[in-house]
Amino acid sequence: MSPGRRRADRLDAEGLALLRAIAGRGAIARRLEDGAERAVLRSIVEATVALFDAEAASIALFDPARNQLVFQVAAGEQGQGVIGLAIAPDQGIAGYVFTTGQPLALSEVERDARFGRGAAEATGFVPRSIVAVPLLDEQGALGVLEVLDKRSSAAFSLRDIELAGVFARQATVAIRASRVERDLASLMQATLSTLAGSESTDEPTLQRIVELATRDLDGDDDGRLWAIVDRVARLRGADPGELELLAEILEVVALRAERRASQRQRSGRPRGAE
Amino acid sequence: MSDAILPAWSEPFVGEHRTGLARSRPLGDLDRATVFGGVDGAGVTVAIIDSGVERDHPDVGGQLVESVVIEFNDDDEPTVRPDPEAIDVVGHGTACAGIIHGLAPAARLISVRVLGPDNKGKGTIFAAGLEWAISAGATVANLSLSSRSEAMFPIFHDLADRAYFANCLLVSAANNVQGASYPSLFAAVVSVAAHDVGDPWTWFYNPAPPVEFGAYGVDVEVAWKGGGHVVATGNSFAAPHVAGLAALIRSRYPDASPFEVKTILAATATRPA
Repeated sequence: MSPGRRRADRLDAEGLALLRAIAGRGAIARRLEDGAERAVLRSIVEATVALFDAEAASIALFDPARNQLVFQVAAGEQGQGVIGLAIAPDQGIAGYVFTTGQPLALSEVERDARFGRGAAEATGFVPRSIVAVPLLDEQGALGVLEVLDKRSSAAFSLRDIELAGVFARQATVAIRASRVERDLASLMQATLSTLAGSESTDEPTLQRIVELATRDLDGDDDGRLWAIVDRVARLRGADPGELELLAEILEVVALRAERRASQRQRSGRPRGAE
Repeated sequence: MSDAILPAWSEPFVGEHRTGLARSRPLGDLDRATVFGGVDGAGVTVAIIDSGVERDHPDVGGQLVESVVIEFNDDDEPTVRPDPEAIDVVGHGTACAGIIHGLAPAARLISVRVLGPDNKGKGTIFAAGLEWAISAGATVANLSLSSRSEAMFPIFHDLADRAYFANCLLVSAANNVQGASYPSLFAAVVSVAAHDVGDPWTWFYNPAPPVEFGAYGVDVEVAWKGGGHVVATGNSFAAPHVAGLAALIRSRYPDASPFEVKTILAATATRPA
């Protein structure tokens, strides 16, 4: 058995599955550059304020380390004071919506002396009406989008809740993608460390690996491979040992591709028919 | 704003969309006076699984007979502890209690506070609260919350079945965000979205599930934390209207099963104009 094949056997089970998972996530993550999350969220709250003609809109995200909801971005004349405000995840309107996933609209809130007033006053603005919708997807709640005081009306309607939900979905998608992007690098580093090995791989072998891998992978798989390559290119800080290991992983992909190619040749099926 | 952006379950119950609810009724109309005349919810216990209920709020009418909190113990297992103070940490559960009490003033209310300390555990806390409510003998449970976690699907499915066979009717607010949410979209549950007719005695049956009922949930003046009131909109204020009606039906027909209560709710529903 060749050294390459031995490495492949060692890496195949643990490495390939992980690599594929990373690559799949990377393909999505690539669409957003680092640091885009806040900019996207800010544009979402700005659009929300404009569309509702509201005094303010803001997004609070859950910070698991602090176990608090922290207001990250805000827009509107009355919105800025809220940035940085942290509240318990089960308190107040934002906390309720975050915890239950159930959107709400409330108005005439100033009639109630104890309605989240401490937090509201800390921002320098006590709203008359509020709509709050969760940032939700299948993985759970990330935070809350709030819109305060629609200028044209004393209250928010059911339709307003649903419209706010559309903006919340945009925000959720943006946050998920950018978080994937953020933790992709560390995930890749962890993979490399976990699968640490020391056998060297020369340049022609690498060439062969990439050639084989890219020749056989098509459609979606091709996109995934290039997502890995893209990520590798960003890993310039990795030490030589880690880069070497990455080559080994790529080799596994290549060997897998080679096997699939020869299987297809034997079975006479055209490429891409799997 | 165009209708095209409306995604939510409330849509069939709002404005001109209601014409789509018309259908022939296999059992005919059931006279509301026969069902609801002279009943006040006596003998029925309604659980409110929510943010707590403020016992002293005037809208609750002194009907809160028990209050518990579900929280994690040191071993990260959900546990039930009494809440002698009977507080509401948000105001939302008190809003639901006030709506139910307004419709069924003699119904006993029990509060199960399930707002978990963090996002991770909330589905587990919620499920434990529902389980406790069933075992505590509630025959109607109001759930203005749901979980979207796939991991919770089998747990809630099992609980919905257990509630059904234990003769506990689960009334659940549909989430405004479309997509799976549990247990609100299970067949054994009465799922509710909001309509915009300002009347607690107007409710619609939707022949095109998963959301079967539309009840008053737009600009509802509700009780809130600190003895106050707010004007609120959301499916979570529609659900307690149906829970209150279910309490009245149970008061009239104490032996009715959950499917019979649901059938009566449909047969007495407002006909769409």
